[in-house]
Amino acid sequence: MRPALAIATAALLVFSMMSGHPAEGYLLDTTVPQGGGCPASDRWNLSLASPLSRRWSTSLPLAPQTVLTVAAGGTSAQFDEIEQAISDSFGAWSGVAGTTFNATAYPGLIGPLARISAASSCTNDQESNVDGFNTICFNQSSMGFTSGVLAFTRVITANAPGVSVGSSPPAAFAGQILDADTLFRNDGQAMFVTPAALATPQGQGAYDLESLLAHEIGHWFGLDHSAVWRALMFPFAPPPGQFLGDRPTAQAPDGPLSDDDRAGIRLLYPDPNDAVNVGAIRGRVLPANPFALAEIPAPSPGAVVTGIFGAHVVALDADTGAVIAGTLGGWSCDVLNSSLQFDGSFDIERLPVGHNYTIYAEPLVGLATPGDFSDALIDLCSSSAASECTTPAADTNFNPRTRPAAP
Amino acid sequence: MTRIRKTFAPAARYLALLPALLAINLAATATTLTRMSLATMSQKAPVIVRARCLGNSTGWDAGEIWTFTSFEIEDVWRGAAPARIVVRLLGGRAGNITSSVSGIPRFHAGEEAVLFLEPTPRGDFSVVSWQQGTFRIRRDSRTGEESVTQDTASFATFDPATRQFEATGIRNLPIDLLRARIEAALRSTGTRRTQ
Repeated sequence: MRPALAIATAALLVFSMMSGHPAEGYLLDTTVPQGGGCPASDRWNLSLASPLSRRWSTSLPLAPQTVLTVAAGGTSAQFDEIEQAISDSFGAWSGVAGTTFNATAYPGLIGPLARISAASSCTNDQESNVDGFNTICFNQSSMGFTSGVLAFTRVITANAPGVSVGSSPPAAFAGQILDADTLFRNDGQAMFVTPAALATPQGQGAYDLESLLAHEIGHWFGLDHSAVWRALMFPFAPPPGQFLGDRPTAQAPDGPLSDDDRAGIRLLYPDPNDAVNVGAIRGRVLPANPFALAEIPAPSPGAVVTGIFGAHVVALDADTGAVIAGTLGGWSCDVLNSSLQFDGSFDIERLPVGHNYTIYAEPLVGLATPGDFSDALIDLCSSSAASECTTPAADTNFNPRTRPAAP
Repeated sequence: MTRIRKTFAPAARYLALLPALLAINLAATATTLTRMSLATMSQKAPVIVRARCLGNSTGWDAGEIWTFTSFEIEDVWRGAAPARIVVRLLGGRAGNITSSVSGIPRFHAGEEAVLFLEPTPRGDFSVVSWQQGTFRIRRDSRTGEESVTQDTASFATFDPATRQFEATGIRNLPIDLLRARIEAALRSTGTRRTQ
């Protein structure tokens, strides 16, 4: 890959090959190992012997009806219609070329979609929600819902190797996902509609189920929200009666995704045989005036913040201007001594080779704000892990500046 | 941003489209929120406080892992609250596992926020509409002026009455103005401000 043109910031964007373990791309959920160490990306440990199990609860709220379908309620045809939307949502992710669970290159890593009838398949009061069964539920009244919250996804990860929950196999590494459940509220605050029913008059007032599910499945696989507006993992969905992007097709099952989504999932599950998406751009976002960092509290005893934390760094195709990938940078970790440093590092990986890229950095004061990403940023540290630290607040107090391209 | 546009025309054209694209109504997904105006949220939340985060702990309850965040109350804007409160939010680290739920606000020790709260059956509090009921306080280092930004400032939210999405987030609003708006909303409904 040719070096990218560099736009910088106030905040100089410095490109270099990092010797440590820089912040991995896009916005991934991470887990700090129980015994200490660098934050590990949350992901499944999929294999033919241990494929991703998945099921959905056929318990559907009827009064008021929450899931709109063309098929009549309570019929097997309705279940088939909903199940098709779920399958296509998974198919968007397993349709990405260059991953270890691509349905064509590595079939069988995503298990069959099973049905279960119990309404309490995702949540109950017996502290057995975390059961190792990965379930989508539409008929939920969890105490987790507060006023105005309509749906959420809960992802359970292991903090150490050997940990298991319910039926899950023991984790092979810290950060391994053991359980994922998606819960939809059942009190009629929102309706969801299958693609087939979206064109009906009733469907115009309901959320496109496939769009929401595909986003939620992205969380299942370990992706957090993206600050790239066109990404499926951008924390916004189409309004009722609409969908954005493309519907999945047999030729392009990953049509609903953006390049940023594809780059993110390739980073988590890289295909060792992929020779195309192997490009990486790494660097640091640094303040032009280093004294600007002096007021930031130390993240851990004796440590100092030496770079911009929480900058949104974006890679554009230099020829088309299309956003290819973005990441929230600001940290690196030396795997040898498990030293987490808030040094402004960023790392955009799994970029297609043979392209020129333009890079820019911006503070999170535009379409997305630090509050949108507070969970992922704070997860870099853990008060209960051996290597205790506190993440700095996302730095939004810098201005973009232009840096001449290197000769 | 001007300099970006001058130097990188293709990217600039793309970026220039963003405000227009944002005007397309959108809504949060991982957490889909019902739209609440500031006035509506002020009336829905029995307790509104300005608070400073003291710290976080996690634990199990009702089959879920929760993060319990302790706050020191700096000012009560509505209702009644003790000097210290605990707010429970889904997700957190408990024992050998971590539970993650996108759309949940998280807080640093020392961070200040205005929170719209509702009591839980357990005697603690939760945040109304999660990120929508969270307003982070930012103090300008030069002027000392305080402003607030709603965690959902970039979220458009859904109004079930009109079945429409609207972008109504609050960003960089002087904190005194936020309080004045809340008080005006409560006065308009004859709601008692504090007890």
